[in-house]
Amino acid sequence: MIQYGTQQPGVESAGIGPVVDALGRARRRASLRFTLLFVLTWIILVGGLGLAIASTGNVHLEFIAEYAPFFLGGVPMTIFVSVVSIFFAVIFALIGALGRISIIAPIYAIATLYVSIVRGTPLIVQIFFIYSALPQFGIVLPALVAGIFALSFNYGAYMTEIFRAGIQAIPRSQLEAASALGMSDWQRMRRIVLPQAVRIVIPAIGNEFIAMIKDSALVSFVGLQELFWRTRTVGSAQFRSFETLLFAAIVYWLLTIVFSLFQERLERRMAASDRRV
Amino acid sequence: MNPPFRLVAMVATTIMLAACTGQGAGSSPTAPAVATATAGTPTVVPTAAPATAITGGLLDKILKAKKLVVSTDPAYPPQSEIQKDGTYKGFDIDVANEIAKRLGVTVQWETPAWEAITAGGWGGRWDISVGSMTITPDRLKVVTFSVPYYYTPAQMAASTKSRITTLDGLAGKTVCVGESTTYYQWLTGTLDFGPSAGGKPPAAPAGVKAVTLPTDRDCAVQWQSGRHDFEGWLSSDTTVAQAIKDGLPLVKVGNPVYSEPLAVATDKSGPDPSDFLTWLDTQIAALHADGTLSALSVKWFGADITKDPSKT
Repeated sequence: MIQYGTQQPGVESAGIGPVVDALGRARRRASLRFTLLFVLTWIILVGGLGLAIASTGNVHLEFIAEYAPFFLGGVPMTIFVSVVSIFFAVIFALIGALGRISIIAPIYAIATLYVSIVRGTPLIVQIFFIYSALPQFGIVLPALVAGIFALSFNYGAYMTEIFRAGIQAIPRSQLEAASALGMSDWQRMRRIVLPQAVRIVIPAIGNEFIAMIKDSALVSFVGLQELFWRTRTVGSAQFRSFETLLFAAIVYWLLTIVFSLFQERLERRMAASDRRV
Repeated sequence: MNPPFRLVAMVATTIMLAACTGQGAGSSPTAPAVATATAGTPTVVPTAAPATAITGGLLDKILKAKKLVVSTDPAYPPQSEIQKDGTYKGFDIDVANEIAKRLGVTVQWETPAWEAITAGGWGGRWDISVGSMTITPDRLKVVTFSVPYYYTPAQMAASTKSRITTLDGLAGKTVCVGESTTYYQWLTGTLDFGPSAGGKPPAAPAGVKAVTLPTDRDCAVQWQSGRHDFEGWLSSDTTVAQAIKDGLPLVKVGNPVYSEPLAVATDKSGPDPSDFLTWLDTQIAALHADGTLSALSVKWFGADITKDPSKT
């Protein structure tokens, strides 16, 4: 995370300039060939899989076309649940991480218990617990709130550890240096630790978000009519599980590809200062 | 850690705790009783609608909200099925709409998992279930039923691949049923309609094993997709008939094993349903008498299955 010696020695030296250029050209050619082979392999694999599926004769395209608008109508709900859940998960995680690095025993204990319980139980159990068991304590959350709360509470626990690691990744020496410069605790947290920690954890949040898109399918069990609920219900009612599950899988895949691209870009931006020339 | 940071950590933890408990505190399970409950509504009310309601009761809640929130499992045609425009159709849907019409309110649908409906403790998320629920003593512990609005025979089916054609042929075999269904109870020997409704039905084939999937139809879907982990499938006669009509690889096996009374359910832990059910029971009797239910039954099932089989 700290950069020293990131500059490759000799690169700017004029004496070996032509050699570097030639090397660069060779490297670019190799990378172009790699990209081409990559794309070709994907086309063969995905195309072959598509043909294999089509050849079973089980895919009724007119059925998919008929219901596609209804299925896709669940995508906004899927994205809404994921976005809102990741937002609250970040809040849970930030609070959890501060608790996890606290030297006050009860606070540390509470944060550790939170992480331990949530990470030690299945997400589907947590969703059912929040939806079906809490009403017996008089806490009735509507399906949407229950689903979002379960997802964010769960992801918050996993991200607590990510945030904690991000904060603890800042070398002690930097804190000592900041203290030596006369910064207060809060100042060095705000000026030294957090800006660097944020850069470390943001790509991880992107990762978690992509996982969240997929896990959001679990809230279909509380009756939220998102992508998976719609495909599963129609598939079951019409005896068309094959088409509907295939459709759901492809849409989730495309969604994660789109968000992965965003995330890669973000990651590159965040790592700009790490990059070697 | 120095004091300022410690403070931040402490505040943060407090917020976390508050967030955990605060979520629930805001929404108490039922609306508190309001004193000005049933001052005669000036709006146009159909003649069938009840005149008065217990303050804070279920009927009061429905009439005040001007909507009836109904739970349904729309993966269960011809009783309930979601359409591509997101609306629902089916026998149960029509029955629920008819009830709402007679109350002078509109229906709002909720689609939780079936076991969330049969488990009770709805917390007011929906008012009633019009979901072909069988009246059983076990369910009576958590829900209160209306009088039956129709009766379905439970029908055993076998995959064509198993070549089983008789009920006894399923002895020692595996039968698939929906989760939290009476069919599962029957296979495991725990189904009992109670002394007033015929007690225990005849026993299941000897040594039969049960596997469950989320909804009845999921069983037939497995056969369709080429999975044969089980030989039999027990579901309502209407569901089995629909599956055969849809061209699934299965046959009916033997006569119906028992007949079950299906009714509207309300949550025991929710608002007092007594006045609502009193009203509903007279309405269902009227719907039986004037042929409305019979007509709907013929429309969706191709036969009238609304008559009490024990009285015919």
